[in-house]
Amino acid sequence: MTSIPLEYYLIVAAALFLVGTVGFLLRRNLLVLLMSIELMLNSVNLTLVAYNRVHTESHAGQIFTFFVIAIAAAEAAVGLAIVLAFFRVRKTVRSDEADLLRN
Amino acid sequence: MKTGLYLSISPLLVVALGGALLMLAEAFSHHREEHESRSAGPSSELALGTAITLFTGAIFAAAVWFVGPEKLDGSQDLAPWLIIDRFTLFFAFTICVGGGLASLLAGGYLPEHRIDRGEFYPLLTFSSVGAIILAAAGDVLTLFLGLEIMSLGVYALTGFRRGSARSTEASMKYFLLGSFAAALLLYGAALIYGATGHTDLAGIRAALVAGNLNYGLVLIAVTLMIVGLAFKISAVPFHMWTPDAYEGAPTPATSFMAVVVKSAAFATMLRVLLVAFGQPELSSWGAGWPPIIATLAVLTMTVANLIAGRQESVKRMLAYSSIAHAGYILVGVTTTMRLHEDGQASVMFYLLAYTVSTIGAFGALILCGSRGAEAVSYEDLSGLGKRHPAVALVFSLFLLSLAGVPPTAGFFGKLYIVKGAIGAGLYPLSVILLLNSVLGAYYYLRVLVFMYMREPAPGAPFARPMKSGYVTSALVLAAVAVVALGLFPTTSLEVAVRAALAP
Repeated sequence: MTSIPLEYYLIVAAALFLVGTVGFLLRRNLLVLLMSIELMLNSVNLTLVAYNRVHTESHAGQIFTFFVIAIAAAEAAVGLAIVLAFFRVRKTVRSDEADLLRN
Repeated sequence: MKTGLYLSISPLLVVALGGALLMLAEAFSHHREEHESRSAGPSSELALGTAITLFTGAIFAAAVWFVGPEKLDGSQDLAPWLIIDRFTLFFAFTICVGGGLASLLAGGYLPEHRIDRGEFYPLLTFSSVGAIILAAAGDVLTLFLGLEIMSLGVYALTGFRRGSARSTEASMKYFLLGSFAAALLLYGAALIYGATGHTDLAGIRAALVAGNLNYGLVLIAVTLMIVGLAFKISAVPFHMWTPDAYEGAPTPATSFMAVVVKSAAFATMLRVLLVAFGQPELSSWGAGWPPIIATLAVLTMTVANLIAGRQESVKRMLAYSSIAHAGYILVGVTTTMRLHEDGQASVMFYLLAYTVSTIGAFGALILCGSRGAEAVSYEDLSGLGKRHPAVALVFSLFLLSLAGVPPTAGFFGKLYIVKGAIGAGLYPLSVILLLNSVLGAYYYLRVLVFMYMREPAPGAPFARPMKSGYVTSALVLAAVAVVALGLFPTTSLEVAVRAALAP
């Protein structure tokens, strides 16, 4: 039985990371920015789990993934709270309308 | 049951337990509401508790230092997750001192500005725990955990003034760029795991020395990790969040970010660069990270100093000045490629001197303002030398230390960095650093000019200094430290040399 080659996983992960990065840099909706960050973290998870197939001596990659998932959840909680606080004060969720602080 | 293990991580345990107790104390506190009277909020007890917790952590770090972590049985049991060596203990000490002083500042600032909610203190304490974990991390996994524990607390501290548009905006910008940087760092870590099969820094180095790797992958991974760390130490061109976050945050939170987050990020940067990528092939002028770090250093110093001179708000000026200081420290990081121990020692001494001077400068700015009349711009400070000579005097001391005037702590910090850079043969870098200090002196001295040589315009609102035992005691402690480090620099430098990582 043949399995899916490692490279396929890595290419998908890299593509996801790229989508996340480009989304983070180009989009202006705060919720989309949060989703882009989650996408980047998930691509990291995919990379780690895929590489764990090569480095079978320990399960460092898979264990790492658990921690990343937990931290991503905590980060999303704090992030949504901040977006909520921002929305309450400014009545907008667009990052380009956050322009009070500048030179 | 190994007592040695618990003793060696006691600084971390003390601060973590103290944070948990503070959270309980806050939950059962009777002063949950924001009161009209200034002494009614929870700050009066919690600030003191936080300061005691963090200073106890600092004392424990110093105590383990004097005993010597290598003598404690079981101190290496947590390696490679947490490495308890003198390097870690030095940074744990610096972090605890910075956090303790910041909590004292908060004890005066929060009641004065009616944002006296108790959760500030547990957040600050847990952030310090994360910072200590980050400084001790010998594995990319604990590095990431420490980074996020530290950062999540600081994001919340930045947005602590919930009703303020500026504070929430600052918090949002800091959160977005901070987590973006963490994601970049993490992808770098995942790729280096793929290339080497290790997540611990020593294992990564061993695999790199053994060779036979996909070097393209390693290169991308190293770049991503350096970019992620550069965001955290706010090096140019990854600094754009810093002035906004520093300006919008409540001033005690700003001072915490400026000293604790920066110290911890530099600790982990040194450890990653020297332990994981420290072999000669990756740490020479022709190849590896030194040219990248040197470029970052030059950009950071020059750009930050040029922009800082144009600021009208003193708080924003101090934010740019903290970016400039990151540039000076990066020169010290570059020096470590040739002068291993002296380079590290100069970075550590600089961070200690920078911690007390910066906390002092932000604290003096807090003391200059009161509710409804916060000192923000240079004009707010005009005539302060006549109206309130004591406040103006301490403010001048900290600014002179930041500018690097002898005999203050900041002078010796710069001296050791420049000495190291010259010793390592990095003449262009040291010249650029000296030119930048001259540039920096301009905007520090401008504050002094406003305080002593200008009178407030007739009818203009001026800042009234507040009265707070907490802020005063923090300033006295910081001032004593600045003068002591300036008068007896060799002792702490020797301590820093002993703390250097093994090559």
